[in-house]
Amino acid sequence: MKSRAECVIIGGGVVGTAIAYYLAKAGMTDCVLVEADYLSSGATGRCGGGIRQQWSTEANTQLAIESVREFSSLSEELDADIEFLQGGYLVLAYTDEDVAQFERNVALQQGLGLDVAILTPDEITDRVVPQLNTDGVRMATYCPSDASANPFLTTRAYADAARRLGVEVELFTPVTRVLTKRGRVTGVETSRGTIRAPLVVNVTGSHSVPIAKTAGVDLPITPYRRQILVTEPLERFFDPMIISFSLGVYFRQVRHGSVIGGFGDPDEPAGFNQTSSLEFLTTMSAKLAFLMPRLRSVKIVRQWGGMYDLTPDAQPILGETDGVDGFFQANGFSGHGFMIAPKVAMLVAQVVAGQKPDLDISRLNARRFTEGPVTTDRSVV
Amino acid sequence: MRITEHPILKFEKGPLVEFEHDGRKLKGHEGESIAAALHAAGVRVLRHSIKLDRPRGFFCAIGRCSSCLMTVDGVPNVMTCVTALSAGMRIETQTGKGIIPDVHFPTPPTDPDYPRDLGNVPLAIVGAGPAGLSAAIAAGQLGVRSVVIDENPVPGGQLIKQTHMFFGSKEHHARVRGIDIGAILVKEIEDLPVDCLTGTTVLGLYPGRMLALLRNGRLHRLTADSVILATGASENMLAFPNSDLPGVYGAGAVQTLMNVDGVAPGKRVLMIGAGNIGLIVSYQLLQAGVEVAAVVEGLPEFGGYHVHAAKIRRAGVPIMTSHTVLRALGTDRVEGAVISKIDGDWRPIEGTEVELDVDTICLAVGLTPNCELASQFGCDEAYVAELGGRVAIHDASLETTVPGVHIAGDASGIEEASTAMLEGRLAGLSAAAKFLHDREMGELTRLRSEAEEGLRALRAGPFGKHARAGKRKMLALASARGGDS
Ligand SMILES: Cc1cc2nc3c(=O)[nH]c(=O)nc-3n(C[C@H](O)[C@H](O)[C@H](O)COP(=O)(O)OP(=O)(O)OC[C@H]3O[C@@H](n4cnc5c(N)ncnc54)[C@H](O)[C@@H]3O)c2cc1C
Ligand SMILES: Cc1cc2nc3c(=O)[nH]c(=O)nc-3n(C[C@H](O)[C@H](O)[C@H](O)COP(=O)(O)OP(=O)(O)OC[C@H]3O[C@@H](n4cnc5c(N)ncnc54)[C@H](O)[C@@H]3O)c2cc1C
Repeated sequence: MKSRAECVIIGGGVVGTAIAYYLAKAGMTDCVLVEADYLSSGATGRCGGGIRQQWSTEANTQLAIESVREFSSLSEELDADIEFLQGGYLVLAYTDEDVAQFERNVALQQGLGLDVAILTPDEITDRVVPQLNTDGVRMATYCPSDASANPFLTTRAYADAARRLGVEVELFTPVTRVLTKRGRVTGVETSRGTIRAPLVVNVTGSHSVPIAKTAGVDLPITPYRRQILVTEPLERFFDPMIISFSLGVYFRQVRHGSVIGGFGDPDEPAGFNQTSSLEFLTTMSAKLAFLMPRLRSVKIVRQWGGMYDLTPDAQPILGETDGVDGFFQANGFSGHGFMIAPKVAMLVAQVVAGQKPDLDISRLNARRFTEGPVTTDRSVV
Repeated sequence: MRITEHPILKFEKGPLVEFEHDGRKLKGHEGESIAAALHAAGVRVLRHSIKLDRPRGFFCAIGRCSSCLMTVDGVPNVMTCVTALSAGMRIETQTGKGIIPDVHFPTPPTDPDYPRDLGNVPLAIVGAGPAGLSAAIAAGQLGVRSVVIDENPVPGGQLIKQTHMFFGSKEHHARVRGIDIGAILVKEIEDLPVDCLTGTTVLGLYPGRMLALLRNGRLHRLTADSVILATGASENMLAFPNSDLPGVYGAGAVQTLMNVDGVAPGKRVLMIGAGNIGLIVSYQLLQAGVEVAAVVEGLPEFGGYHVHAAKIRRAGVPIMTSHTVLRALGTDRVEGAVISKIDGDWRPIEGTEVELDVDTICLAVGLTPNCELASQFGCDEAYVAELGGRVAIHDASLETTVPGVHIAGDASGIEEASTAMLEGRLAGLSAAAKFLHDREMGELTRLRSEAEEGLRALRAGPFGKHARAGKRKMLALASARGGDS
């Protein structure tokens, strides 16, 4: 392991590996990525892999559109198949509130050039997913260019591409402390020794809070467990990710044919917990069987838990830390860090490398939480 | 081919019923596994593999390996080796991944009692093999109530297919047939506070020692103050060209097919592996009227007992040491095998290949402990080669690193039924401890040391070498983790 580098990236999830890649691509190849466990062992390897552009604020929608653009050429750029598939997202509205919100969203999204439309329940079953039970569905928004990809393959592709450019990737090496001196970062202390570096990026998901704390920085991130399950593989029979904010569920059929889906329990207590519960299994399977009755005869093969790193406005924390020069945050992705990873990582890399980012991300600096109340994007599960 | 005459077994089968296979009408016995009924009717290809479209038959016959998935009454991916045949079933060869039929699935009435709650028991035991049953007996004799859960329709674990007289010591049922030992254990639990839930699969262990059970197609839940995992083992596969052809079966699968279902696996068998299992199953094949072309063994000496070897040699079956199988021949099913001599580094020696005319290749190349439930429950595990693979770390009282969760039998390291019974006993006693009064502790200690002494005796001698080494490593691992041993 190197004892000196230009930049240390802490965390080997999709965002950390992508930042390492874009830094190296921009010429900063003297980087070390340090991962406590194996690649994708955090939220990334536990996530649904959904890539959605339908958001309720202009900034988020734009970021997502740019990310899909990156995703669509990523297999080629990284020279590895990441199972990117534009199967669309079908967002179901069940309540008056949903309907009103979705109408506003679609107007905004169409204004930004997104190929999104409102569908009636009949149009859903006629045109998109004949197998869906539309009982109670008022309408849906459908964006065919929304997508999905395989999070493991994406992360590995970024890591391999970064390695090819000269980045060192150290696995099974937890960072124990971020080192600082007189308001500047000086490196990190790991289980295998110290790495001196003038630039350090904290990309450790729900672990970002204790990591930042070692440098005296408080991040307003709360960890919440989210659970998810996967079925046996079947021949593919539906394309889009199907999602409902009011039911709190999402599910899609991955390229291999398994149906993967999760549900955000509103009563989930805060705290780090990656166990599985029987209650989730029964609730989620009942929801799946309701939404798509033919899934009733399908076997669930696995369930697991992962962590959301939730911020007060459900938006990530990006950029340099006030008071600790050279210490950057890229965390608090609040359950949608996979879909925006390519663009966000590119922008963070630009900021770390001292370049002007091609989209302004200063609105996402941690500073915003000290400057007054924040507004939440409503389009989160 | 059904076995009509057998020196030991009489097959009690359900009534003959008609079913459909790929549009053809066939007959089989109600209640036997679909795979067995098809095999008896000469059907060996059950599905085609997803990626390479290779023909597949069954391999394990105990619901572990997924080689036998077929479409049954429109539902894809049904494990036909553990699904009972019933009249009028529509069974189809599955190609690729499953397709869900385009039919209307009605919404069932909502069930307020879902999953069905079976309440709390002091002790839940997963697996009704010799280990699980012995655990229930030991705890039951001390007055501790238990539920024993097994996925099979009858209790007994692997014993229900073992027609040979057991080896081991007198007090541990040596010279009694495995099937009869099973019956003895089952009889013993009858008068004890033990509930036996057969036909019930433990799907998962959840926080709070909650077990999720699948019984009659419905989800149930049960919590327990203590849990014993006596889940046994799965058979090992061997990689060689065409090793996935229908007709390459595990030794346990061959035993299940011929000794439980009364169906001969083929006409002429090549046995791979001359440990006790390979030798015994070869003898059982001869008893069932099946020819055994040869037993091949990679090591220069075979590992099984000489009495078993002598029996099959007397019947004219060659035991070929320093030999291995190079490939299976055939396109849709095994039609032959090529074996060859190997050198000290297991490299085939050119010019020694021999082609054998066989329709079945039986693999008796070892077992791997079933550790899924322990793993899911967060028990620390370790790979210990002498114990057969990954095993939950356990101390001298067979408790894992999760308090209140014990492990016993093949699941805690591959040995034999005799050691499984004693380990089961020891785990049952250890798990019972917390329910007993102080005044009963003296008796408990005495019973425990008796069981420990028995285990030591069984593991003494050259055949216990691996087990001794494996268990020694295990104890070191457990105490390194602050276990109480
Ligand atoms: C069930 C579930 C479903 C989801 N579904 C979606 C979805 O469909 N679409 C979507 O966009 N997002 C989804 N998400 C969110 C998404 O997974 C995350 O936002 C995203 O993966 C974040 O990536 P990351 O690289 O920031 O974090 P992580 O993947 O969590 O990576 C952080 C890494 O840091 C490492 N680490 C921690 N501490 C240290 C240390 N001290 N030293 C070194 N390394 C350390 C961890 O081991 C980990 O590998 C889902 C999340 C969950 C839990
Ligand atoms: C051919 C052969 C010959 C043998 N000969 C001898 C001999 O002569 N002498 C001797 O001492 N030993 C012999 N053995 C070994 C002996 O059979 C095993 O060591 C013994 O059966 C192990 O007992 P067990 O209780 O640990 O596991 P098993 O007998 O395998 O029982 C485990 C049970 O748990 C069930 N189970 C597993 N997971 C679940 C779940 N999730 N839910 C519900 N149920 C579950 C299984 O279906 C099974 O019924 C032989 C074995 C074979 C294959």
